Amino acid sequence: MLPNRSRLSVLVFLLPPLLLYGIAVLFPIMQSLFLSFFSWNGISDMEFVGLANYVRMLTADDIFWRSFFNALGYLAICLVLQLGGALLVASLLTSMRRGRELIKTLYLLPAVISTVAIAFLFVRIYSIEPVGLLNQLLHWIGLGALERPWLSDINTVLAAVSAPEGWRFTGLYMLIIYAALLSVPKELEEAARLDGASRWQLFTKIRFPHIMPVWITTTIMATTYGLRGFDIPYLMTNGGPGQSSELLTTYMYKTAFTSTDFGYASTIAVFIVVECLVAVGLILFMLKRKADA
Amino acid sequence: MTAPAAPMTRPTTALPDSRPPVRRRRQPDLYSTLSRVLIALIVIVQVYPLAWLFITSLRTEHDFATGDPFALPTSLTWENYARAFETGNLGMNILNSFIVTMGANFLIVLLGMMAAYALQVLGFRFSKFVRGLFLIGIIVPVQIALVPLFIDYSTINLLDTYPSMIIPLAGFALPMSIYLFSSFFEYIPRETYEAASLDGAGPYRIFGLITLPLSVNTVVTVVLVNSIFIWNDFIFANTFVLSEGLKTIPLGLQNYIGAMGKTDWTATFAAVCVTITPLLLVFLVLNKAMIQGLESGATKG
Repeated sequence: MLPNRSRLSVLVFLLPPLLLYGIAVLFPIMQSLFLSFFSWNGISDMEFVGLANYVRMLTADDIFWRSFFNALGYLAICLVLQLGGALLVASLLTSMRRGRELIKTLYLLPAVISTVAIAFLFVRIYSIEPVGLLNQLLHWIGLGALERPWLSDINTVLAAVSAPEGWRFTGLYMLIIYAALLSVPKELEEAARLDGASRWQLFTKIRFPHIMPVWITTTIMATTYGLRGFDIPYLMTNGGPGQSSELLTTYMYKTAFTSTDFGYASTIAVFIVVECLVAVGLILFMLKRKADA
Repeated sequence: MTAPAAPMTRPTTALPDSRPPVRRRRQPDLYSTLSRVLIALIVIVQVYPLAWLFITSLRTEHDFATGDPFALPTSLTWENYARAFETGNLGMNILNSFIVTMGANFLIVLLGMMAAYALQVLGFRFSKFVRGLFLIGIIVPVQIALVPLFIDYSTINLLDTYPSMIIPLAGFALPMSIYLFSSFFEYIPRETYEAASLDGAGPYRIFGLITLPLSVNTVVTVVLVNSIFIWNDFIFANTFVLSEGLKTIPLGLQNYIGAMGKTDWTATFAAVCVTITPLLLVFLVLNKAMIQGLESGATKG
């Protein structure tokens, strides 16, 4: 604490940021919570409905549950691509002697590009008429039977809209994990190698435990980002065909701005927040139990 | 004391130099060959789609509609770019994105620094509580703010303005910025502040003359990292902006889809190439600083 500070000076520095944060983040959260107990289309009078929105969401809305499970699938695919891919590439990169910087830059490239551009790009990659990159590739390696319009096939559409999001941010997570792997003490690895540890043992017994704190942060980041995923599915399929690629976020958006059902949309938004908090709590809880065991 | 230590350290320092060649001779190292092939493959997957995007923007329409997508174009044309500029308002979109990015960055840096200064340097009784409050903004998804802000904006006539995009973009980015500045301020030695205090400098002068000038590197980091996300923001712009004149790049690009009944893909790809160029150039020039920023942002936050 500065000796010469006054209570006023603390307020001068603290109030402006708190004001912006309050207007943009805290107040809207309270407002959503408030709205979730009302039925309102934005024009007529607001009508207090108590828990009716929540009851409707949890017991009577099939689309809600469909979107919920789709969102979990979307999250799973993103996590595998982002964290799995990141860990793999980061580990491989530490064993390389040259070209690390170049590969880091190239790998991060997709993260700089807007989701709209990525959505356009992948619409063409998945397309069948004219034949896109994916179908052409399958044709060449003799898997022509798998060729299909990936975005209009209800069995593949969810995976097809999840993959670009995974693809986009693998580089970001790779950077973080790579930086953590570099901080593993060289003496420790050297000693283990002298004791005859295999590469796999080296990884599971020394490297991975060492980067655990960073791994937790990265997992939490990837999970909360995965649960709020919106742009790419919204732009590529808008939840379709039917509801096969509808996520909670796209469903909430359409409820709010297409059906103008602000009350019910807020209920879904509150659910998304709760879902994020529960996910973060679960990750911390599971990792803590693992560490204790 | 020092004499016996010297010969003892020498063999250990010499060890790393002598080991690798021995190991290389013993086995033709299948592992490193495999890992190199794997890395090359993954890099191709990451980069090829972007290269393809650029190549396609130079194809003739006929070539695009009929040819093999992997083949090199039979002839190169800049016509797609001419059509891209005719169809849309690319210049205006880029200008709008620039204004929004600058505005939000200004708020994020200034307010982030102020909050971190109050929390880390000045200190006060409820600082733990305030920190916790800011943590909420990192976990909570941005979608929660869409409906409330839309309603609030329409009551105070702020819909369809630059601030309607800048406020939530800055608000949701503020926590990360505060954490980055806080962790930097920790490194400024307390004695610096105490000395300045003894010379009679108050909290405002210390902020302006010591903290601010020392933080230039962190400012660059914060601006670079946030610019990526703000420049590419789709959800706030799509929700709050309606008029053509305010559309940022992501919204401008959307105009290309089905503008003439059927989508002109080669022109669309040309437009995409034009709009990703500014950020891509900044990224390629400053990628060291950007990479460093992304790394520190995550490991500290």
